[in-house]
Amino acid sequence: MNYVPGTASLIDDIDKKHLVLLRDGRTLIGYLRSIDQFANLVFHQTVERIHVGKKFGDIPRGIFIVRGENVVLLGEIDVDKPCDTLLQQVSIEEILEEQRLQQQAKQETEKVKMQVLKDRGLSIPKADNLDEY
Amino acid sequence: MFRFQSLDEDCTLEEEDEGLVEEEDEIDQFNDDTFGAGAIDDDWQEEHKRLAELDERDGLGGVLGMGGGGMGGELDLGGAGDSSSTHLPSSAAHHPLPSSLPSLKFSSSSSGLPPPDVEDRGGGGDLAESLARLILEADPAIAGVGAAERPGPSPSSSGSSLSALQGLDRPRVLPQPSSIPHPAQSHQHPHHPQHQLPPGPSTSGLPPGPPPSSMLSYQQQQHLLRRGTAPMGQMNSHSIWENSMGFGPVSLTPGLVTHMEDSPLMSIIKEVGLPKRPPQGRNDEGQDLSERVPPPRSSSPVIGSPPVRAVPIGTPPKQPMSHAMNHQIHHPMAVHVRAPVQHRYPPPFPERLSPNTLLNIANSPLCRGPFPPGVLSQMQRAQLLNSQVAGFPRGGPAPPLLPGGGGFRPFFGGPPPPHGHRMGPPPPHGPPNHTPPIRHNTTHLHPQHRRMLTQRMQNRGGDRGRTGGDRRSRDPYSNLMTQKEKEWVTKIQMMQLQSTDPYLDDYYYQNYYEKMEKRQERERDSSKKEHTTKLITPQVAKVEHTYRPVQFAGSLGKLTVSSVNNPRKMIDAVVTSRTDDEEKREKQVWNKRRQILYTVEKMYSLLLEVQDFEKRFVQTPEEDREALLEQHKTNTVQLCNSLREKEWDDRVSDEQCVMIMSVRKGKRLISRLLPLLPSPQAAAVVMAIARNLPALAKKDKQDQVLCWLVEPVSAVIQSLSSSALTDLLQELQGNEGQLATVLHNKFGVTLLYLILSEGERMQSSDPNCQLMDDNRWTELVFSVTRELLSVPSSSLSPPLFTPPNLLSLLSRYVDRQRLELLQDKLQISALSR
Repeated sequence: MNYVPGTASLIDDIDKKHLVLLRDGRTLIGYLRSIDQFANLVFHQTVERIHVGKKFGDIPRGIFIVRGENVVLLGEIDVDKPCDTLLQQVSIEEILEEQRLQQQAKQETEKVKMQVLKDRGLSIPKADNLDEY
Repeated sequence: MFRFQSLDEDCTLEEEDEGLVEEEDEIDQFNDDTFGAGAIDDDWQEEHKRLAELDERDGLGGVLGMGGGGMGGELDLGGAGDSSSTHLPSSAAHHPLPSSLPSLKFSSSSSGLPPPDVEDRGGGGDLAESLARLILEADPAIAGVGAAERPGPSPSSSGSSLSALQGLDRPRVLPQPSSIPHPAQSHQHPHHPQHQLPPGPSTSGLPPGPPPSSMLSYQQQQHLLRRGTAPMGQMNSHSIWENSMGFGPVSLTPGLVTHMEDSPLMSIIKEVGLPKRPPQGRNDEGQDLSERVPPPRSSSPVIGSPPVRAVPIGTPPKQPMSHAMNHQIHHPMAVHVRAPVQHRYPPPFPERLSPNTLLNIANSPLCRGPFPPGVLSQMQRAQLLNSQVAGFPRGGPAPPLLPGGGGFRPFFGGPPPPHGHRMGPPPPHGPPNHTPPIRHNTTHLHPQHRRMLTQRMQNRGGDRGRTGGDRRSRDPYSNLMTQKEKEWVTKIQMMQLQSTDPYLDDYYYQNYYEKMEKRQERERDSSKKEHTTKLITPQVAKVEHTYRPVQFAGSLGKLTVSSVNNPRKMIDAVVTSRTDDEEKREKQVWNKRRQILYTVEKMYSLLLEVQDFEKRFVQTPEEDREALLEQHKTNTVQLCNSLREKEWDDRVSDEQCVMIMSVRKGKRLISRLLPLLPSPQAAAVVMAIARNLPALAKKDKQDQVLCWLVEPVSAVIQSLSSSALTDLLQELQGNEGQLATVLHNKFGVTLLYLILSEGERMQSSDPNCQLMDDNRWTELVFSVTRELLSVPSSSLSPPLFTPPNLLSLLSRYVDRQRLELLQDKLQISALSR
């Protein structure tokens, strides 16, 4: 409400820590440094956080520039509040491994499903791959 | 790479035109201007001579360049014309004068403030004097500024600088080489080497040679050699393009180069002048690329289109310099300014001194990143800013930064943006106790909204401010987005809110607040009634910008000029319809449908206007009300007429109605339209509906939207006369079998009941009712009852509602047995609704 009273604006969110969810399913956490009229975002000290089950891993990514149209949601993180009590942080390799396993499992089930449907003569057309998350 | 003096004076094109300059820039950005804004067209020899003369004068210790260099900004020392001969590398500029060099000599104290009074560094009075003299002679315009400019020694910095100066044998004033464009000044005069030269070398205007090492630290030397004409000032300010646009190369003070006597490179430089911006130099130094503005597009020249901004709208603001600051600080080293460049590229934002420029001077005692001193990256700038901001309230070590004269003030204050409806100068973020309350411009909001906002802000401001502010002040990376940029984004967002027709663009907002107002008025006492303020939304005058393409007489066609602002039709396509029989038939069907849809749309717009009339009427000022009223009447008339069959026939056309009603939207339209029609017409419409009910019902099977019509139709029915009512009932029954179909349809049943109930009401309420005058009514009712009885229950559609007096009606006409049967069938009971 700082600069444009009566409307919502990202200006007040600058220099604060944020979590952004992108359309491809990635979760980024970083300090929002700059914006523009399209809500393109510049993140600083960005960390990509991968969640698998109850575990999560952080991959430091540096500076990110996110094109506004790819943002699903964006929210400020309260640095004071402890957030990871339920989740367990693991190393990067481990989380990537977990993720890979998860993807694999998903693919397996998908394959089985398609096979079953095929046997019955049905087919579900594959959905458009945009925003597949 | 070196800029060659134009050997032939005649061949330089002095292109002052805007248009041509634009094009020319695209030709060769990276080289110096061989012609055009930056070109030198004077005789360099003469120039040289002149400079040499100036050289003779008593050295002015100008710490001239001092502030200027650091400030970067737009002081254009180049520009076409004479000083060009000294396209001296900034190397010269970055001269020992500690004060002028941002970093090094600065040692501890000044972390970046440009000492505004350059002269003092030099050690006092006589420097100042000679400087003043020089300046005054150089340019009367500057004289004014210069005079204003020499304040007393700045306490903070003088100490250090003086001490630094001690080390030098000869205090030298290195005129500021800043290559920043200095739009207002058309200096024809290069600055001077205000230095007390050892008598001897460098009587020439451009004394070459590296400064004696005692004078220059290694780093400085590197600077000088490396950076060529790009003085610090250039770093943070403009892009190559901008400079080549018309800001001439830096006319470095020859004096600067005094010390560089020996280097052959320098001598060459002296003679020929350095290129304005050695391109590689720029990139190597990790320059602040954020300052770059993309090159001007090949936008249409002025001839063909409305004026176009040179900088496309999406560009973030560069950091412009305020002229005043330039004058004061940079000390105009005879800048060569050709033309007031501002005209060509009007900056979209008010100019102010960017913190960048200021900080660049003081640059890196604080942060000596990977960058060579003198270059402040955005980050460093932000850090610096932070430290200042943080330091401010604490009144800590930062003070040397602040009092640097007018330097920082523009940053903090920020001249109020030119746009009327925007906010006042917002202070920077900082610890809350020191920031003055931010004044928001809320005039465009509804007063109620405004009140809510302020309340909310107060609640929030208290608890959040403290921690946030603290944290932010400790974060070295904060404030990367400058105030200016924030304002710019906000401005764009605000622009989107401007509207010429708030009722159209922001309907829900307006309505919501209106309702709230009404509610409050009701609740509040009349005694303490607040004046109801009128809602003001920023309204922009609706100006028609029609572009008519330029066409020259006698030429074929129009100019092929198109841009974002005036897109031009490229092809004149002509529609030819094919006549194919089959296609025709199919098309006819489609066309008919399209025609219907089109009619429906047109009627809808009229309808909406008519319905909104009241609201708008209240909103418009007195004078316009007449016109509005007229328009309203016209609209209404038009609406009614659209139902007519033929132009001269006043009757409602059945066909038209049916056509319209065959579309879902059409039914909705009719339902909204009925209340607005005059009663005979409304009645006619209802008749038409009744008459064609089977057809309509069939079409409606999928949508079931006929039921929307119940309400308006019932309203109409209630206004019908008895004969009309009878007619209606007759229509409903129509020919054989129609009633059966009617009964199948929910709407039909409801309609029937409505009619019957109305008849009953008439009969019971008004003893003189003419309903019974002829037997029609009775007969009709009889047939209805007959039908009702014969129709199987399953096919009888339940109505939307059952009027209560149906029972009494039926009891009039049928005997007890039948009555009971009917009761069962229709599930009417005395208590049913």
